[in-house]
Amino acid sequence: MSVPNEENLSSHSQLSSHFFLDLLDSIIVDVASECHRVARLGLDSNLEEEDEELKLSAQARVRVADPSNSNEANGKYVVDIFGQTHPPVANEIFDCMNCGRSIMAGRFAPHLEKCMGKGRKARLKVTRSSTAAQNRYSRGSPSPGSTYSPYSNYSTNSMNRLANGTSTFAGEEHSNGTLES
Amino acid sequence: MLLRNPSLYTNPEPCQHLAEYKLKHGFDGYKAIQKLLVISPIGKASVKKPNTKVPRCGFCNGCEGRFYLCLICSSFSCLDHTLLHPQSETGHAVFVDIERAELFCGVCRDQLYDPDFDQVVMSKHSLGVASGVTGNESIGQRLIKRRRLASGVVGLDLQKSKCRVSTKDLREKSCYPVGLRGLNNLGSTCFMNSVLQVLLNAPPFRDYFLSGGHRLEACHHRRTADLMCCLLCDVNAIFSAAYSGDRSPYSPAQFLYSWWQHSANLACYEQQDAHEFFISMLDAIHEKESKTRNGSKGNGDCQCIAHKVFYGLLRSDVTCMACGFTSTTYDPCVDISLNLDTNVSSTEKGKKLTKQNEDGSMSTLFGCLDLFTRPEKLGSDQKLYCRNCRERQDSLKQMSIRKLPLVLSLHVKRFEHSFVKKSSRKIDRYLHFPFSLDMSPYLSSSILRARYGNRIFNFGGDQSDMFSEFEIFAVVTHSGTLESGHYVSFVRLRNQWYRCDDAWITVVDEATVRASQCYMIFYVQKLQHNKANEDPSHVPNSPGRELFLPIAGFC
Repeated sequence: MSVPNEENLSSHSQLSSHFFLDLLDSIIVDVASECHRVARLGLDSNLEEEDEELKLSAQARVRVADPSNSNEANGKYVVDIFGQTHPPVANEIFDCMNCGRSIMAGRFAPHLEKCMGKGRKARLKVTRSSTAAQNRYSRGSPSPGSTYSPYSNYSTNSMNRLANGTSTFAGEEHSNGTLES
Repeated sequence: MLLRNPSLYTNPEPCQHLAEYKLKHGFDGYKAIQKLLVISPIGKASVKKPNTKVPRCGFCNGCEGRFYLCLICSSFSCLDHTLLHPQSETGHAVFVDIERAELFCGVCRDQLYDPDFDQVVMSKHSLGVASGVTGNESIGQRLIKRRRLASGVVGLDLQKSKCRVSTKDLREKSCYPVGLRGLNNLGSTCFMNSVLQVLLNAPPFRDYFLSGGHRLEACHHRRTADLMCCLLCDVNAIFSAAYSGDRSPYSPAQFLYSWWQHSANLACYEQQDAHEFFISMLDAIHEKESKTRNGSKGNGDCQCIAHKVFYGLLRSDVTCMACGFTSTTYDPCVDISLNLDTNVSSTEKGKKLTKQNEDGSMSTLFGCLDLFTRPEKLGSDQKLYCRNCRERQDSLKQMSIRKLPLVLSLHVKRFEHSFVKKSSRKIDRYLHFPFSLDMSPYLSSSILRARYGNRIFNFGGDQSDMFSEFEIFAVVTHSGTLESGHYVSFVRLRNQWYRCDDAWITVVDEATVRASQCYMIFYVQKLQHNKANEDPSHVPNSPGRELFLPIAGFC
C-alpha cells in the first residue's frame, strides 16, 4: 500500500513543479521578447543621457553636502551680484493703494490684509474697515447736485483734519461722529 | 494606409531569409496569420491554436515549451525543431511565435521585426475595437490642425524677434542679464516672488509683455470705469520694472493688491503655496484676457497669453479589462502635478547621503513621469460602465500627454495629506531632475505604442519630435517644513544659474541647482530656448517705446 502512495505523491509534485517552470519560462521569454523589440527598434535611446545626468546629480549632491566645499553663504546678509546689501525686512516706503497710508514694504502684506478686510485677522477690525469703505465710497462718487453741497464740504473738512496729523484713535472717533449726525 | 513615421523607429534591415520569403510568397502568409490572430482585452496578440487542442511539435510530438508556426507549411515546431526545420526543408526559414505573435528566423536564430507584419497585427487590434478606427481618423485630422498651430506659434515668435530694437541702457551697472532684479518680500510673500521670477524669465511669456502685448491704453479706459485693478497691467508694470535697468529691489505691492482682489480666497497674510499662486495667477490672466477678447471660446482655442504659453492637453484612457473597449477623454492643463515615485522605501530615509548614492535607488523625474503614465487599476467603487459589455466592469486608467505646452511646468507633490491619520507632512526626499528633458516617451503616441506591444505602426495624433525636446530654465525650491518654510527660485540665463531669494540675486553653479529640493521645475521647448539664448542683446529696455506691429493670428 505505501509504495503506490509514495509514487503518486512524487508524481504530483514533479508535475506541478514542471508546470510552474513552464509558466516561469513563458513569463521570462515575454519580458525578454519585449526588451529585445525595444532595443532593436531603438526606442530606448535616452538611457545613456539619463545615466549621465544621474552622475552629474550625484556629484552635485556630494559637493553641496561637503561643508568645506561650499563657499556660498546661506545667510541673508550677503552682497548680491549688483553689489547691494539688503536689510532682513524690506524698508522701502510707499503708499498703500487701498487707504493711502505710508507703509514699509516688508510689512505691506499684513497691513493690506487688515486694510482689505480679508483673512483671519479681519474680524477684529470690522468697524474700521466698513467705515473706511464708506468714506472711500463717499469721496469717490461724482459730485452731487446742489442739495448735497453742505455734506460734501463737511466731508472735505474732516479730510483736512485727518491730514493735519490727528491721531488714529481720534480720527476714528470723529468718523463715527460724522456717521451718527 | 497611414504613413510610417521613420523618425520614431530605427527601421531594422530584414535578414536575407525574410527578404527571400516576402519576395517569393508576398503577403499570403501574413494574411493567413491575420485570420488566426487573437487579441486579449489588455492588448496582447497571440496566434489561435487550431481545434483548441494542446499544440504538439510536428517532429517530436512534444507539448512543452515554446511553439513556432512555419509560414510556408503551417507546421508547428518546438524551439529545437524550429532550428532544424530549415535544414530539412529549403526556404522554410520564417516562423511566428504563436504565444507572442512575433516573427522568428530559424536560420539566424533571432526575432525579426517587419513593418508589414506589424501592420497586420495592428489591423487586428483596430478590427477588434471598431470605434478605435474612428478615433484614429479624427486624431489624424487634429494632428494636421495642431501642426499648423505649432508652426504658427513658432512663426509668430520669429516675426516678433524682427520687430525688436536693440538698445543698451547706460544705467546698467554690470554685465548681468537685464531681466534680473530682486523682489522685496512684503511679508511672507516669498511664494509669490519665486513664481514671479520664473515668469519674468519664461521666454514666450516675457516676449509677450516686453513687446507690448498687453494694450495699456485700451485697458486704462476700462479700469477707470470699473474701479478695478487690472492684473495684466500690474504684471506689465513688474516687467517694466525688472527690465528697466534699475537693479535695486522692486516691491510688487500693486501686483499683490491686484491679485488679492482677483483671488479673494487667497488674500490673506499667510505663507502660501507657490504652485497654488501660479495656478490662480494664470487663471486670473485667462479670465481677464478672455473678457477683453470677445471671440475666444473654450480653453482649446484660447488666445490669452497664459494658455498660449502654458496650455497642454492630457489624455486619459479607461480600458475595460473584460473586452478591451477603451474610452478616451481629454483634459486641458497648465501644468502637470507629479507624485514622487515610491521606489525608495520609507525605512531608507535615515540613511546617510553617501549610502544613498551607493544605493542607486534615487527618485528621478523620469520615475515620476513613468508613474504618472503607468496604467492604474481603478478601485471597485470606480467601475466603468462599459458601452460594449453594457455593464460595470473592472478597468485600467492610463494618462498620457496629447499636446505639450511651449513652457512645461512640472509640479512635484511634496505636501502630503493623510486622511487616515488626519495629518499633513512634507516629503523631503531628493528628486533628480535633468537639465534636458525628452518628453516623447510620455506622449500619447508613445504610450499607445507601448500598450500595443511597440509594434512598428504610426499611432499618430502627436506633434513631431521637434516639439518634445525641452530645456530647463527655472526651478522653484522649497526648504523648511509644511507650516514654516521658504521658497527660492533658480533662473538660468545664457547657461548661467542665478539664485533669486526675494531681494537677493546671487550667482550659483550648476551643482547647487542640481542638489536643490525642487518643488516646481520649468522647461521650455528647445526651439524657444535656443532663440532666447541667441538674441541676448535684442531684449528691449523700454517696452513702451517699441512699436507693436500687428501679426496675423493662427489660420
